[in-house]
Amino acid sequence: MEKRPHALLLKFPGTNCDAETARALREVGFSADVLPISQVDPSKLEGVDLVVLSGGFSYGDYVMAGRLAQLVSENRLGDSLKQFRDAGGYLLGICNGFQILTRMGLLPEGSLIHNDSGRFKCNWVKLKKGSQKDSPFLRGLPDEFELPIAHAEGRFVTKDAGEAEALVASGLGVLTYAEDINGSFSQIAGIQDESGRVLGLMPHPERFMSRDHHYDPDWKNEAGGEHGTGYYMFRSIFEEISKR
Amino acid sequence: MKAVFEITDRYLEAGDCSALLYAPLDEALTYRQTRRYTLDFEGDEGAAADFVSKTLLDEVGQELHQGESAALQDWLFAIDYGMKPGALDLEKEAVMSYYHNLKSAPIVLSELKIEHRVYVFGESSISPDRFVSDICNPAVHTWTVIEGEK
Repeated sequence: MEKRPHALLLKFPGTNCDAETARALREVGFSADVLPISQVDPSKLEGVDLVVLSGGFSYGDYVMAGRLAQLVSENRLGDSLKQFRDAGGYLLGICNGFQILTRMGLLPEGSLIHNDSGRFKCNWVKLKKGSQKDSPFLRGLPDEFELPIAHAEGRFVTKDAGEAEALVASGLGVLTYAEDINGSFSQIAGIQDESGRVLGLMPHPERFMSRDHHYDPDWKNEAGGEHGTGYYMFRSIFEEISKR
Repeated sequence: MKAVFEITDRYLEAGDCSALLYAPLDEALTYRQTRRYTLDFEGDEGAAADFVSKTLLDEVGQELHQGESAALQDWLFAIDYGMKPGALDLEKEAVMSYYHNLKSAPIVLSELKIEHRVYVFGESSISPDRFVSDICNPAVHTWTVIEGEK
């Protein structure tokens, strides 16, 4: 029997999007396991193709979103996630997972701080795919699409605004908001690392797997199917891993 | 040994004070919030600062101020508030749990006190009591009001 690509979802106290993300991964063909961080050690990465840090409020967002999850992960895994990436593994961080990956140094330097409105934002946003560099996670998506967001600390900043501009210009700022929704520098919604195998994004693709998830009941998939845009994101990385 | 660290947000602008209160203010006052961490510890003060930087500071989006003096200037008054000693402070518990699980801790941390500081800016004779009553919960918080030097 052909081995399916395997995804491992790391779950922290307060992670709350793991079940729907695992369901999304299984829907496109992955086998997927959710593992509490208390049971994680480097040996658990063996046989894994994709590590996913899903959304939620790990450790209650205490100190700052993603900080305690970063520290606990580093204690339990050391450099194993970096070694996993260097050995060809893929990592995806969604919302709180993006915050954690950023703090772990697995993505270009930056930080996700409180929205400039000071408020939690929960709505659908228009997104633009960067054109400078390909991403195996976004390959199957149109240049512009919609996804839902739900975050209080989603404003992507760098030490100066020029660094964020450089990320977009180089293609590492792979996903931007079509309009300013939270004060992110260069309207960055998602970034990838130099290898392209690590992606972090604030929007939630797992919440738009079916066209029925869209707020507009008349929304139509340009490809003509029943899937939502998020489906094609998970499908893209599934196809990338499957052809290895 | 005791050390105080105050962390300010680099990119957050001062906000309208009415956002802190149940009813809007007539005066044009603004505020900024910071966090103050007081550590009781044994060991090197530099190691304590390193621990705070690594654990409690976002080096991209925040700045660290060490010492008792205020990190910000030209404020009307400030309110420090935090959990009562007997109340369950989940943030403190999370940080201490991380500290206790460190394989080799850089300092011996015996106590950590976490306080939020609200700086109020502007010209006014308004009493801080109104802010205290709307921001602090006497069931779980202790607080201190500090008059500014303006």
